[in-house]
Amino acid sequence: MKKITFVFLLFFCSFIARAQQHKAVEGRVITEQGETLPGVTIHVKGGETNKYTTTNFDGEFKLDMPNTEELYALDVSFSGFQTVSYGPFEASDTLSPITITLKEESTQLDEVVVTGQGLSINKRRLSTDIMSIKGDELDKLPSSRVDQMLQSQLPNAQIKLTGGQAGATSIIRSRGVNSAFINSTPIIYVDGIRMDNLNTSAAIGGGSTQGASISSIADIPMDNIERIEYINGGAATTIFGSDAANGVIQIFTRKGQAGKTNITFEAQLGLEKGTKDFLHFERTADLLFQDGFYQKYSVSVNGGNDKLGYSISGNYFNTNGTQIHNQNSNQKYDIATGFRASLAKGLTYESSFSYVNNQYHRNRNGNQGGYTGLWFAESGASSITGPTFNNKLDELTGEEFSIMKEWVSEAERLQDNKINVNRFITSQTIKYRPLYNLNIKVSGGVDYRVLDDKTIHTNKYIAHTTNAPSIDKGSITAFERRYLGYTLETNAQHQADAGDFSFVTTIGGQLFSTEDHQVSYKGENLRDGSKIISTAAVRTANEAFFESVNYGAYILENIGYKNKYFVDLGIRGDGNPAFGSSIGIQYYPKVGFSWIISSESWGSGNIVSNMKLRANYGIAGNLPPTWANEKTINFSGFLGDQGAYFGQPGNDDLKPEKSHTYEAAMDVGLFDNRLMLTAGYYRTITKDALFSVPALPSSGEMQNQLRNVGEILNEGFEVSTVVEAIKTKNVSLRINASLNTLHNEVLSSNGVPPFNINGFSSRTLQTVVEEGQPIGFLRATYGIFDENGVLSEVLNQQNLGSTIPDLFGKIGLNFSWQSLNIYANADYQMGAYVNDWDSQFRFNYGVGNEGIPQAEIDAHGRTNWLNFTNMFVKKADFLKVRTIGASYTLNSPVKGIRQLILGFQVTNPLNFTSCDFDPEATISGAAQGQGSATTGGIKYATYSSPRQFIASLRFNF
Amino acid sequence: MKKYHILLIAILTTFSSCVENPNVTEETYLTTPDATNSWVVGLKRKIALMLNATVVNMEILSDNYFNNYSQYSKVFDKLQIDYFDVDVNNIQSNIHQVRSMAQFGLDKVIPSDPTTTPSQKAYMYFALAYSHLLAGELFIGLPATERGEVLSWEKHLELAIKNFDEAIKLEPDAELISAYRLFIARAYYRLGDASNAVAYAEMVKDKRSLVYEVEFDGVNGVSNEMQNAVYGSLPNRLAPLPRLDFLDPKYYYEGTSSTDQKSMAILKVEEAYLIIAEAQASNNQLVPAQATLQDLLDVVNMRPVALVDDSKEKRDGGNNKNYPLAEVDVKFDGNDNSPKQGYVLNRQNGKIPVYTVSGTKVTAGDIAAATAQDELLYIIYRLRQEIFMAEGRRVSDLGIRLSVSQNEEMSNPNVNDSHIKAQVPAFIPKDLDMDAFTYDKENGLVTMKYDMNKVLIENKTSPFIVPFIK
Repeated sequence: MKKITFVFLLFFCSFIARAQQHKAVEGRVITEQGETLPGVTIHVKGGETNKYTTTNFDGEFKLDMPNTEELYALDVSFSGFQTVSYGPFEASDTLSPITITLKEESTQLDEVVVTGQGLSINKRRLSTDIMSIKGDELDKLPSSRVDQMLQSQLPNAQIKLTGGQAGATSIIRSRGVNSAFINSTPIIYVDGIRMDNLNTSAAIGGGSTQGASISSIADIPMDNIERIEYINGGAATTIFGSDAANGVIQIFTRKGQAGKTNITFEAQLGLEKGTKDFLHFERTADLLFQDGFYQKYSVSVNGGNDKLGYSISGNYFNTNGTQIHNQNSNQKYDIATGFRASLAKGLTYESSFSYVNNQYHRNRNGNQGGYTGLWFAESGASSITGPTFNNKLDELTGEEFSIMKEWVSEAERLQDNKINVNRFITSQTIKYRPLYNLNIKVSGGVDYRVLDDKTIHTNKYIAHTTNAPSIDKGSITAFERRYLGYTLETNAQHQADAGDFSFVTTIGGQLFSTEDHQVSYKGENLRDGSKIISTAAVRTANEAFFESVNYGAYILENIGYKNKYFVDLGIRGDGNPAFGSSIGIQYYPKVGFSWIISSESWGSGNIVSNMKLRANYGIAGNLPPTWANEKTINFSGFLGDQGAYFGQPGNDDLKPEKSHTYEAAMDVGLFDNRLMLTAGYYRTITKDALFSVPALPSSGEMQNQLRNVGEILNEGFEVSTVVEAIKTKNVSLRINASLNTLHNEVLSSNGVPPFNINGFSSRTLQTVVEEGQPIGFLRATYGIFDENGVLSEVLNQQNLGSTIPDLFGKIGLNFSWQSLNIYANADYQMGAYVNDWDSQFRFNYGVGNEGIPQAEIDAHGRTNWLNFTNMFVKKADFLKVRTIGASYTLNSPVKGIRQLILGFQVTNPLNFTSCDFDPEATISGAAQGQGSATTGGIKYATYSSPRQFIASLRFNF
Repeated sequence: MKKYHILLIAILTTFSSCVENPNVTEETYLTTPDATNSWVVGLKRKIALMLNATVVNMEILSDNYFNNYSQYSKVFDKLQIDYFDVDVNNIQSNIHQVRSMAQFGLDKVIPSDPTTTPSQKAYMYFALAYSHLLAGELFIGLPATERGEVLSWEKHLELAIKNFDEAIKLEPDAELISAYRLFIARAYYRLGDASNAVAYAEMVKDKRSLVYEVEFDGVNGVSNEMQNAVYGSLPNRLAPLPRLDFLDPKYYYEGTSSTDQKSMAILKVEEAYLIIAEAQASNNQLVPAQATLQDLLDVVNMRPVALVDDSKEKRDGGNNKNYPLAEVDVKFDGNDNSPKQGYVLNRQNGKIPVYTVSGTKVTAGDIAAATAQDELLYIIYRLRQEIFMAEGRRVSDLGIRLSVSQNEEMSNPNVNDSHIKAQVPAFIPKDLDMDAFTYDKENGLVTMKYDMNKVLIENKTSPFIVPFIK
């Protein structure tokens, strides 16, 4: 109890309240452009530390001053603007109304951020980096999902869509792959509520076309975003505790604004074209692609006053996709509201609601067996599929090709796979500010997502694609996943000054609970035309249920000295029933310091405008799934009776894996912040890494068991820069670039044999975890050819290359000339490898030699196709231009319209790759349903992201 | 302050207790009624799954079948048996799982369930014995306990015999007792103990319909994988050696695949005759051996034969274009001067006969004409191959044995280098030669590269094969 007492003492240590007599100071706060700013905090610095107020609807304020002879100053601060001090002056001075101009924050040094800190804090005080992207920036980028929107925005993170089909899962990673059991997707919060990001695996529904592999990030609301903050792990995520080792993305939605009501209507219309850059045959596109029509309409209303704010937005999105017969169409509509009310002085209520409906059609792709369009066309399987064809598509006569085309068209048309997602999210927050320097927040909310997937295989489809009659093989497979997440968080922050020292103390507690209920049901032997399982001759069902409850408490203390030296301390403790019986509360400490060198008298000048040095150490974790510690017995029906057998072996010592990160970095702003540079180094070691340890054969165990046996290293340099090359009144040119290195290695596996995370069988191709190697390296045969080009030796299970790049980054530019804005963004990576499984199949099916010596084919035919997999592994270096776009803003073009913005954007316009296939289209090497660790690395019958040409028209009323 | 403590504990307890494991823990299982029955059913299921892990692979490894399917072993056809091979590990794991389940049943489940019957206990001994039998037939050696010492294959066979004996003591059903005796005969046979093998075989040979079958359940995800491989999946995954084409498929379905998964015989009375005949022939008792084999033919001829539409079989899986689909003549090897008919079927000419238990093209005339020891032994091994077709037994006759797997080796200090090397006798043709054949389409003649039964008899003194001749 002493500890708690101490905390509270610390927390309230600086409360000193003194009664004084008062005079008044009044004025208004405006931007550089002359716009009034409501909601700005004005704080009296001096003897009376608890005096503060906020500007009203018209940006005006009035503040009672103590009637003494002491010197005072006003600190004026507002999110996104540089904090300014006004004064000093004596309270007895007679002040006429003053006007204070706030300058928009460009250095980000004094930006106010929230993520990882519980409540708002000035970035200057932090030893970690927090990326913050304003909603206005995001509004410029037409896209249909939030991860795609962020693709070009996070300088130190890679976001890759693993396939071109709508709803494809993405691989998001920043500081390498620090887990061999869970994917590297950060946890995502919307208004403080933890989102479903498919970090629980689809246990019973599978297949890369099916609902299980539809990304839940694709239906996180993405309109009406005020800003997004991103932290990439390490000490920054410590207060998120047991599941934050991969970083945190936090989305804040708009809750209205004081001032004029703002109505926005936007229409985006465009064309989607299947990306042909990587197709092996000219004719594949003709066989499988269509042009898709993209349309998106959104309306939003933002308004309110200093007491009340509201925001309502509606959105409709539709594309019929780039695969024939609209087999990859996507329709989404959503509605979102945000609301803010000042209930009493210092007491604010905020809420947000959103509902999303997302519908997809999907055709077969990847490693599904049987007919899939790309496998048929691009892998040479047309020679063994259906009536069988000449698999060299470009050599077919026109007549032969039209026969094939007709056959493929029917095979695609007959597919029937629909996915329907309904999602409801709400967040409720009460903020209470009893004193200027004390903020209390209580928030709670729900994320409820229901996914239904139904795949119908008709006899007609089966007969058509197998070229054999089918009367009793019609089937329906349905999968339903219901996710329900609750988040409850409360925290309080106190700020205090004592001489040259300043203290920011934050305490908080968080509870989150997730339920993931999955049901699959299947009907076999259905008559064609039946779309409901009840009519099937044979019906089967399955169910999986996961539940997780995690509770934690944290305390953070940020101590500043002379506003230029800061120490950042924190610790979080977590309890969770998922942990083994012998494991108690888990602790995640952090410690860091930052030094604002430019605040030193010698630290800035004509060249250096800002300079900050920071370093930290922190621990973040990844939770094992609930009940993964228990020894269970499994059951299955067998011959009409209940059969029991060994289930999970159990592990009483199970606990979270913990990533320990050391980090040092420097943030520099030069030439009046025209050149900003952040450069840092991090080293993360995941200790007690959770490996899904294969059963020791002689144990007779039947399932893998999660055990804390591994140790994983990720380290690298992170450099990013923004250069404002031109900055005049009418013209500006901003260039941004980043470069990140990455070394990933499994330092120890504690004797656990190598295991596969996402490949096929060990005799073909796997992405493997093994001591001394990077996670997910490609493991397969290495063939050695003699001087004649004939295979002479086969080395099995060889390391054919890492699937994780050792260098990656982004390049972007933004050019403005008066009202015209032109931008472009690109991603690049180097040092990773990908297997071209399509090419390997092409060799097997005799499409071409695919780089294999003719002598080998003469000697052994195609029989050795799996014995020299090294010949099909290529470098996955690329530079991909994600977006090129332009917008033109017209202010008050006609009466009633405040602003009209015309835009045009091309998405995925240019690809430069070291291999002749798309190194990102790796759905077969990515987890088919997410949930588990994934690094991609296997290219197999997967569509590339389509190219989009989108024109937009945005009216602000 | 105590109040806060209590409040905190209450809150945490509420959160903890609302997370209830929907799965059954071992403790719960052992304290609920009728555990033994469900454990026996679970063991039956596990044995079916073990056969799935074993039979397809053993058929590929032998000369019986060639694999055209990328998801089955692409290396067993060419006799590449690596200790790190996933299938070597799977087969080993499955055998251990049956052993471990049987042992758990005996040690934990039965003591906790007073309603256990002697027959149920006998079944657990049977399962334990069968796991040792397969370990002794298929591996050079395996541990018999978790991280235990690697026992030789002979030791496993002895343990099999011991546990079949325990099963016999408890089992009230005469038919099952006969089956267990025949299993014992089979173990003695592989050990080369002719007198015991024959003694046990003699005990059961008059049970002329005796067959011990393992059932599958397609509705509950335990399909007969061999059925899937030779009939269910299209294009069919396995192609038999053309001289065995008439025996394929052994398993098939009618109606809905999942509800018609055929059982697999893991033991049948034919084996008693084969053991006796081989003992006789090895001992140069040629006339009695001939008589035994004639009796065996009678048993085989009594087995059911179904007529099945197999017109979807095109033998074209894996881009294979060279398999005879017409009724062509067959030569057993290049030296075979009398091409035979009826071995390769044209599946487009109506339904074909399917030998669901046993089938053979060996005739009474063939047996009568075999008057030398080697001729008789050759016929016995032909019969063994044909009668046990698609049952995973052939590799043992070829003297091939798997090694201990890498997963075991990495965590079990008792595994040494000698345990991780598979046994493939030197006389077994390498690469893909055991499955090789040439097809002369013009003349309608298909010729096997090797007649492996001939190869076996030529090498009958090898310690790895033909156990009664040393």
